Amino acid sequence: MWFEDVPLNQKITLGSYTFTEENIIAFAKRYDPQPFHVDVEAAKRSAYGGLIASGWHTAAVWMKLMLAHRRERIAAGAEQVQENYVSPGVRELRWLKPVRPGTTLIYTNESCAKREWKTRPEFGLIEGMNEARDEKGELYYSFINRVLIARKPA
Amino acid sequence: MSDLMHFEDFRAGQVFPLGTLTLSAEEVIAFASEFDPQPQHTDPEAAKRSLLGGLAASGWHLGALAMRMMVDGLFNKSTSMGSPGIDEVQWRKPVLVGDRLRLDGEVLDTRPSSRPDRGFVRFRFAMTRDEDARKGELVMMFVCSVMFKRRSAA
Repeated sequence: MWFEDVPLNQKITLGSYTFTEENIIAFAKRYDPQPFHVDVEAAKRSAYGGLIASGWHTAAVWMKLMLAHRRERIAAGAEQVQENYVSPGVRELRWLKPVRPGTTLIYTNESCAKREWKTRPEFGLIEGMNEARDEKGELYYSFINRVLIARKPA
Repeated sequence: MSDLMHFEDFRAGQVFPLGTLTLSAEEVIAFASEFDPQPQHTDPEAAKRSLLGGLAASGWHLGALAMRMMVDGLFNKSTSMGSPGIDEVQWRKPVLVGDRLRLDGEVLDTRPSSRPDRGFVRFRFAMTRDEDARKGELVMMFVCSVMFKRRSAA
């Protein structure tokens, strides 16, 4: 998909992910070994009252689901294969509720703005709002993603 | 446990050196295979032809690796209660396998919470190159608030 083709203000469901004691601990042992992420007993004594997922785990799952969603669209012929997506960064990551084992989060993405990218004018910047909610609709996590996408050759 | 760092021990301008790491291909591919399976992160040959110029860490992986250094170097020696969010992450330069990096955290400001048992410390974490070529070049930075217990509540 070219920069020009990205639709604005359409909320897309990327997919869902179930956090378990096993995957929470496995991620956190490697990347975020704070007691409330890796140790069930210590987590009970923490301010959270039990084990919760690392925020970086909640964040990395978005990327996983975004790519799986794109692979599905490519397989269905709805999008062309294009590798030249690069992100200069993300903004306003908000971990609003602790993610406990057994929680399934449904991730959504909505492109909100298109901007020029002066240092690489062959690209344009897309900014999007992203949310992760449980099956009851409660918001656990949100952030603004920013991605550079090639412009349609003139 | 009075040797743990509490909210009151942080001051604007403090800098915490958080160590160094060298990125390995196994680790880059393992993270990316699970969370960011794009050719520039999983396939050394395809990565050479990508915009990043070689097998490069996922930006989410760099964040998670920085988290590990923050936990080992600071948070697990403190009364950290987790983070409500990140204001901004910037991925400034590609980080390729074999690159040696260092992480430093600087306290930007501190403020008590409305809940009397805790306060917020806002950090700027900077990941830079730690090798002769391009030493000190900023590859990633993020600004992140972290909650710590107050001594008065300990």
